[in-house]
Amino acid sequence: MNPALRKLVRKAEPTPAEIDAFVAANAFPLVDGRDITFVWRGRADAVYLRCWISGLDTAQPLQSLPGSDLWAATIDLPEGSRIEYKFEVVKNGHSELVLDPFNDVLAHDPFGANSVCQGAGYERPPWTLHDPDARSGSLEIRHLHSKVLKGTREYQVYLPARFRRNRRYPLLIVHDGIDYLRYADLKIVLDNLMQSLEIPEMIVAMTQSPDRLNEYSGDDRHAAFVAEELLPELEAHFPLADDPRSRGLMGASFGGVASLHAAWRYPDSFGCLLLQSGSFAFSDIGRHRRGKVFDPVVRFVNEFREAPGCPAEKIYMSCGIYESLIYENRSMVPRLQQQGIEVRFEEARDAHNWENWRDRLRNGLSWLYPGPVWFVYE
Amino acid sequence: MPRRLLLGPQRPVRNLGEAVDAAGFADAPMAVISAGWQEAEGDTNDVHELVRRPLEDLRLYGRAEAVFAADPALHAAYRRRQDRLQELQRLYQLRLKQLMVAARLTLRASGESDLVAAELRHAISQLRALDRHHLNRVQSIHAEFESAYSRHSSELLAGHAAEIERQLAGCRSVLITGGNVVVLLNRLRLFGVHRMLGRHDLVAWSAGAMALSDLIVLFHDRSAQGRRDPEVLAPGCSVLPGYVFLPNAKRRLRTRDEVRVDLFSRRFSPGVCVTLDSGADLLFDDNRLVRAGIARQLQTGGELARLRVA
Repeated sequence: MNPALRKLVRKAEPTPAEIDAFVAANAFPLVDGRDITFVWRGRADAVYLRCWISGLDTAQPLQSLPGSDLWAATIDLPEGSRIEYKFEVVKNGHSELVLDPFNDVLAHDPFGANSVCQGAGYERPPWTLHDPDARSGSLEIRHLHSKVLKGTREYQVYLPARFRRNRRYPLLIVHDGIDYLRYADLKIVLDNLMQSLEIPEMIVAMTQSPDRLNEYSGDDRHAAFVAEELLPELEAHFPLADDPRSRGLMGASFGGVASLHAAWRYPDSFGCLLLQSGSFAFSDIGRHRRGKVFDPVVRFVNEFREAPGCPAEKIYMSCGIYESLIYENRSMVPRLQQQGIEVRFEEARDAHNWENWRDRLRNGLSWLYPGPVWFVYE
Repeated sequence: MPRRLLLGPQRPVRNLGEAVDAAGFADAPMAVISAGWQEAEGDTNDVHELVRRPLEDLRLYGRAEAVFAADPALHAAYRRRQDRLQELQRLYQLRLKQLMVAARLTLRASGESDLVAAELRHAISQLRALDRHHLNRVQSIHAEFESAYSRHSSELLAGHAAEIERQLAGCRSVLITGGNVVVLLNRLRLFGVHRMLGRHDLVAWSAGAMALSDLIVLFHDRSAQGRRDPEVLAPGCSVLPGYVFLPNAKRRLRTRDEVRVDLFSRRFSPGVCVTLDSGADLLFDDNRLVRAGIARQLQTGGELARLRVA
């Protein structure tokens, strides 16, 4: 148990005022090297720590601390880790998932918010924070009627701050791009990395599928949308470098599958891929156990692993070691390298979430799209 | 004899004004080349505050943009040249990577010293041969472009070059700022300015200083992607041949990595690799070094040493 908490409960019955003072004086969860102590306060039948970490039980019970209304659980978390969690509070047979009321650090995703535990040594990278000195790029909302997807799709285009029509820009197409903007601070990251010259001024198109579990699962129609409709549309409207090496696809989770699939279906169209926690489920024999939604993914990944070809010249991959997909991602690396593809793979002490993907953007983007820092001597 | 004053980055130490005065530059109008700043070209209020002399910006970046807009064929050929140079640099990198690994391992190798020394000499000579070959290839691509598009064949370029010469004639000295060294060099070459500088007093910092040498070497050991092997970019203006200038070396170069410094020095020898950190001021009377200040020379053995002045 955390030493400060142990000191508090060593008293037979700490008063509410003493507990209030303890809560006010500490940041939660309590971080003591690798020991992380989660604390909840209140009356309940049971309290569980719910965090989605492959390798740990999904629900870990907090212990009621005698003589108080405090509950606590300590887990061992390696340095540099970052995890997201909630508490499950059970009262009168009903359970409810709640944020940690003592922790203001939250991460958001399309399903809401989670509390964030920043383990010892984790620091949010400064280049993910708004820098008032960084020139701000602009976002333009555009629409494209897709014949293959039978409907109009909205997408956004990021243009660098000093955009000029007589220049030629590299292009990145981002799957779940609007989510990347909302939950992974993509615009701030682009502004900052361009300001520090770590990536070149570039054009970034952000798409968002209304049916991502189907369209991103290895669907040929989606690949055709990206390569035959969106890409020509962008070429027609923006000054893009015409070298495939200057064009890339990016995505996380199923978005990683969609990126790899589109590049595989249209070789020589995209020179680089940035794949984060790709859902690269496969089966060597028999049925996979990831549920029906993964059926088309597994079909594609099995086919891909059989005949990968050369979907891109450079591929940056990242994955959290606290997510079950780490094994599939690790196993993808040598398969890609066997094809002569230049692969950079990064593992992080994090899980399947947007801030993990945000924190890896600098390494991925600056490797795939090296900026002029190499040429600039101020 | 014309003087050449080379400085490090003007942040945090802004020594431009005092260095220019100490070098005895005439209190007369200065031509400015700030093309390395690209769109920010001409934004020289800070420079003016420091040098307190009338400034005449040659607007090489702006002129080039105007030329490209007016002559699409020239612009297309220019882009084609840049694509070829980029491709060439990529191929050079492929070969350089292997030779650098071999040289580094040989430099660290233990064993009978005469055997190691002979292999190291050969490893370094292979590196030098590759660098030389690359430099020649870059030069020939530039020459190919310049034979087709030069001030002698393009009225547009000739007009700008003549204007630039008139501007230069009214200035005793030329100031070249830092910035993007590729952009700077390309603009200098486009208007033939690299051949017009010889008779002027020159003050240049960072990228500007690099461009005055006969060999421009790109380097950065501390980028997001970690260390990268130094690469030959192109020949510079050759006003100060025999030097490789390394601006902001404290920040960009792992100067405490003896193997890296040693290899850097051997590879570009007999050229002298000189650090130009903020606060540095290196003064030449024509080609003769007369003041070195805090600038240091990378040495075989991995040390940084003071420069010898005449």
